Amino acid sequence: MKQVGFYGLTALGLVLFPFAIHPIGGYPGLATQILIVGIAAIGFNLLLGYAGLLSYGQAMFYGVGSYVALLTVQRFFPQWPSIWLSLLVAIAFVSVMALIIGLLTVRLYGIYFALLTLAFAQMFYFIVFQWKSLTRGDDGLQVVTNATLQLGFTSVDLTRTFPDFDLGPFGNLHDVHYWYAFAAIITLVVLAFMRALIRSQFGEILAAIRENEERSTFVGFDPLRYKVAAFTIAGMLTGLSGGLKGLYEASTGVDTLSIDMSGSFVIFAVVGGIKTLFGPLVGTGLIMYLQNVVSGNPVFGNGWRLIEGLIFVAVIVFLPGGLLGSFKKKRAHAALANAVRVSPVEGRP
Amino acid sequence: MSDVILSTNGLTKKFGAFSANSEIDFFVREGELRAVIGPNGAGKTTFFNLLAGIMPATSGEIRFKGAEITRLPGPERVARGIAKAFQTASIYPDDTVFQNARLGALARVQGMFAPEFLKPSRRLGKVDEIANEALALVDLVSLGGERAGDLSHGDKKRLDIALALATQPTILLLDEPVAGMSIEEVHKTDRLIRGLAKRMTVLIIEHDMDLIMGISDSITVLHQGKVLAEGTPAEIRSNQTVQEAYLGGHVQDALATPTPTPTPTPTPEAKP
Repeated sequence: MKQVGFYGLTALGLVLFPFAIHPIGGYPGLATQILIVGIAAIGFNLLLGYAGLLSYGQAMFYGVGSYVALLTVQRFFPQWPSIWLSLLVAIAFVSVMALIIGLLTVRLYGIYFALLTLAFAQMFYFIVFQWKSLTRGDDGLQVVTNATLQLGFTSVDLTRTFPDFDLGPFGNLHDVHYWYAFAAIITLVVLAFMRALIRSQFGEILAAIRENEERSTFVGFDPLRYKVAAFTIAGMLTGLSGGLKGLYEASTGVDTLSIDMSGSFVIFAVVGGIKTLFGPLVGTGLIMYLQNVVSGNPVFGNGWRLIEGLIFVAVIVFLPGGLLGSFKKKRAHAALANAVRVSPVEGRP
Repeated sequence: MSDVILSTNGLTKKFGAFSANSEIDFFVREGELRAVIGPNGAGKTTFFNLLAGIMPATSGEIRFKGAEITRLPGPERVARGIAKAFQTASIYPDDTVFQNARLGALARVQGMFAPEFLKPSRRLGKVDEIANEALALVDLVSLGGERAGDLSHGDKKRLDIALALATQPTILLLDEPVAGMSIEEVHKTDRLIRGLAKRMTVLIIEHDMDLIMGISDSITVLHQGKVLAEGTPAEIRSNQTVQEAYLGGHVQDALATPTPTPTPTPTPEAKP
C-alpha cells in the first residue's frame, strides 16, 4: 500500500511539475533540467546524508558523464546514435572512475576527504580542459545529430513535443518535450532505487557506520567497503545525471567539472534536506528556479551567487535539517551537524 | 582439560621506543573466565586491542582456534568469533536499544560486506531473533524501544556487551565492564558475567578486585607490558612478586582483604 502511495504521488508530482512552475515564471525546459541535475543531488545525498562523506568533487562525475555520453554519440559509436548506449557507456565509465577514486579517498575523514575529492575534481577539470583533441577544451562539445531513444518496436525523437493543448495559466502541453517525460521516468526510477537502498540492510549498515564507525567495525562490518560502495553508487548516479545533461542539451562544456558545480550539489542537497528522499530534488528545484528568476532580473541578475550564498547560510542557521528535513522530528536538526565525520571515533579525545 | 582457544606468542606492541606490550606469551582455554589485571599503564587495554585487531602488533603472533590471526583485520576476527565490549560504552546513541542489538546480529548474519544492496532489512528474520537473544542475556529486552543514548551508564555498558554478544562470539573481551558503576550495578554485572562464562570463553580487564577474585577461573597479571604472574585467584592473592609490584605495595589492602572497596569512579572527590 505504501509502495502504491509512493509511486502514485511521485508520478503525479512529476506530471504536474512542468505546468505548476509555469505561472511563477518557470518553463518545462527548466523542469527537465531540474530533474536531470536533481539526480546528481540525490546521489550526493547518499554520500553526505547516509555515509557522512562530504565530497566536494562530484562535478568530476557529472562533467565526465556528460562528455562521455556525447563522445559516445559523436566519436566512439557514431554508427549507433542511441541514448541508451550513450548513457550506458557514461554510467559504466563514471562508475569505474568513482570506484577507483573512492578506494583512494574514503579512508580520510571530514575536511581531508573533502579536499582530496576536490583535488581529484580539479585534476579532471584540467585534463578535460587540456585534452583539446578529444574535448575541444574551452569550446566544449556540441553534437549536431541527436541521439534517439530506442524502444524496441520504435524509436523516439525526444526533442519532439506533446500535442497542442491549452492549459490556461499553466501553459500549453505543446511546450513540453518528450525529453521531460523521459527525465521524469528516470527520476522516478532513481527515487525508487534510493528508497529501496536506504531501507535495505545496506542503508542501515551505512548509517550505522556513520553513527559509530568503531562499533560498526567491531561488530564485524568492513566500513571501507561500505563507503567505497556508497561513493561508487553516488558517482554512478552523478554520471547518469551528467550523461542526461549532455544528451538533453546536445552540448557540454568544461564548466560542468568546475568547483562551482561541485559546490552546487552540496547546496542543493543541504537546502532541500539531507537524509530525506525528496530533499535533494526539492533543493535543486528551488535553487535552479530562483537562479532562473534572479538571472533574468536586470537589477539582481549579476548577484545570483551572492543570493545563493545567502540562502545557503539562512538554511544552515534557521533550518539545519533543510527544507524537508526540518519537518522530521528530533534527529533532523542534528542531521547536518552530525553528517560529516571528523574522525573514526566520534566524541573521543 | 579443554583445548586452548586463544594464544599469543612473543606478542609485542611498540609505540616509538616505548613497549606497551613486550613478548607476551599467553593462552586461554575454551570456557575459561580469565581476568587480566595490572596497575594503570600495565598494557592491559593494548593487549586487548591487539587481540581484537584494533591495532596491529609490532611483532609476535596471535592464534585463535589453531589458526594464526595476527594480521587479520578487526571485522574478520569478529566473524571468526572474537567480540569486544569497550571500556567506554561504544553504542549507536541515536538508535533504539533493539536496533543497536540488531546491528550486531546483522553483522553475524550478513558478514563484513553484503553486496545485496536492495534486500530489505526487515526480511532478515533471523536477525531479530539473534538480537532479542543478546538483549535477553544482558536483561535489556524491556528497554528495547528506548533511545540508546538516553540509557543510564550501567545500561549503556550492558548494551555494549549485548552488541558484542549479538555477533555470537566464542570468546568475549570485556574491558573494565563495571568501571564507574554503582554497587548495585556491579552486582548485576557480576551475575551477568558469571552467566556468560557458562556459554563462552570470557577475558576480562577490571580494577574491581572483589569482582575479579570472585568470578575468575584464573588471573594474568601484567606489569610494565610483561606477564608478571599467572594463576588462580588464591595463588595471585598470595603471590609475593605481585604484591610488591602491583599497586606499589598497597597490595595487601587491595588483594588480600575481601572488604568492599569502592568502585573506581571518575569523580575526583570520591577518591580517598
